[in-house]
Amino acid sequence: MEQPSRRIQPKHWLLAVVHLGSLVPLARFGWLAWQGQLGFNPVETALRASGRTAVLLLLLSLAITPLRKILNLAIVQPLRKPLGLYSALYAGLHFAAFAAWDYGLDLGLIWLEFTQKPFLLLGLGALVILVVLALTSTRGWQKRLRSGWRWLQRSVYLAAVLAVAHYLLAVKGDLFTLQGDYTRPLLAAGALLLLFLLRLPGLQGWLQDRLRRE
Amino acid sequence: MKDQDYRSVPVSPDEVTPQDVYLSRRKFLKGMGLAGLGALLASCAPAISTGTEGLVATEDLREALTSYEAITNYVNFYEFTTNKEGVAELARDFVTEPWSVEVGGLVENPRSFSLEELRTNFAQEERIYRMRCVEGWSMVIPWLGFPLHKLLAEVKPTGAARYVSFESALVPEQMNAASSGMFPFPYLEGLRLDEAQHDLTLLATGLYGETLPPQNGAPIRLVVPWKYGFKSGKSLVRITLVENQPPTLWNTIAPQEYGFYANVNPAVSHPRWSQATERRMGESGRRETLLMNGYAEEVMPLYAGMDLKVNY
Repeated sequence: MEQPSRRIQPKHWLLAVVHLGSLVPLARFGWLAWQGQLGFNPVETALRASGRTAVLLLLLSLAITPLRKILNLAIVQPLRKPLGLYSALYAGLHFAAFAAWDYGLDLGLIWLEFTQKPFLLLGLGALVILVVLALTSTRGWQKRLRSGWRWLQRSVYLAAVLAVAHYLLAVKGDLFTLQGDYTRPLLAAGALLLLFLLRLPGLQGWLQDRLRRE
Repeated sequence: MKDQDYRSVPVSPDEVTPQDVYLSRRKFLKGMGLAGLGALLASCAPAISTGTEGLVATEDLREALTSYEAITNYVNFYEFTTNKEGVAELARDFVTEPWSVEVGGLVENPRSFSLEELRTNFAQEERIYRMRCVEGWSMVIPWLGFPLHKLLAEVKPTGAARYVSFESALVPEQMNAASSGMFPFPYLEGLRLDEAQHDLTLLATGLYGETLPPQNGAPIRLVVPWKYGFKSGKSLVRITLVENQPPTLWNTIAPQEYGFYANVNPAVSHPRWSQATERRMGESGRRETLLMNGYAEEVMPLYAGMDLKVNY
């Protein structure tokens, strides 16, 4: 049987999946907007969809390194950067929906929102980090910043914590007694915790050993 | 707050009902036929003396009505789902007949009212009210119903009654999310007795001249237009007059965010949503939120001498 896909290096094939997959939510949103199917509160739909996608892609980008190390899957490593960049893109769209679409770039109102709602500052912090990381993700900046670049990139962990906290606090209810619809943000928090745990050298080694034996 | 003078909200050109909306409203009133005529006659009748004359009657609120589709497809009814646009489908088969509302507690004549009695013993009138959700969106809804004080007059609250507690139906077999543990149902709400007796406080049985659809709180619900939407309990089964401030669901879960009063107030912020501005459904930008949702003139006397930032 002819298998033309064999000619393509797995890396490229996977990259194509990541690019296409990451653009699906945006394309879907554009299609729904075109069809007038964004619901009765399109701004709310946009805010939720963009925020959710940004968190998902950020978690996926953080899953790459543990996957590579534990499963010894070197081919996934090039996916980390595009996933992070797309997460920054959706975080930017999320902020644009908030500032431009919802508040019509009324700086006075936006300022009022940020001063009255601490959970917005968490999201803003995550956004700033993601944008800085995206802008300095080029080879040029990598050279310019030398060893500082790696340290800078590690702030992605802080961005992830801030983003998930922002997500948890956006729910109507009470976080401490978990009364409210916390399913999705809790899944995100659980995934983030797992990704942190999988970075512990002890656990990583143990998992590697077990998988090798099998 | 005390000796301040509250003027009614002036009508700005952009608030005036567009022609097509106005015409369709005329058409709808015509279509209401006899029932509609009855409602109109009832609303023309002299208001029962409750000390609150000059109410925001139906035709005075000259703002475009929110579409029937938006009102009936974008609702919070957490017993069914937390997805506002998923409620209509899930609530479609909710059984609302037979139905009765138990009215009791500190009253002289405790009794149960059947749906039939609630629909025929009390003249149904149309009231066009603004509805402001704590989440920061708002609507203009033509309700059909009767003021709660008429029902309270029949049961005669005793001198000891100071608050009114409202309990919504809890039917786990028919309500998907009612037993999910996300919220401590049944949904409870409450008002101070004078708030409950205010003529603006409505028991609604319909909207747009039609029977209330399940997702909007069929067969009978509370509408308190100067408070955030969550104060207006849906699908009521029990109304109880009590002496002390009754527990309410949101206030029990998160008292720091949801006060007992929950009066619409742009000056009192909420940690998650803007209360200074709101998004009127169907409009592109945001509009400023009005004190008491635009009903300050009518209801501010209820709160004379109270600090509204403390009693939020």
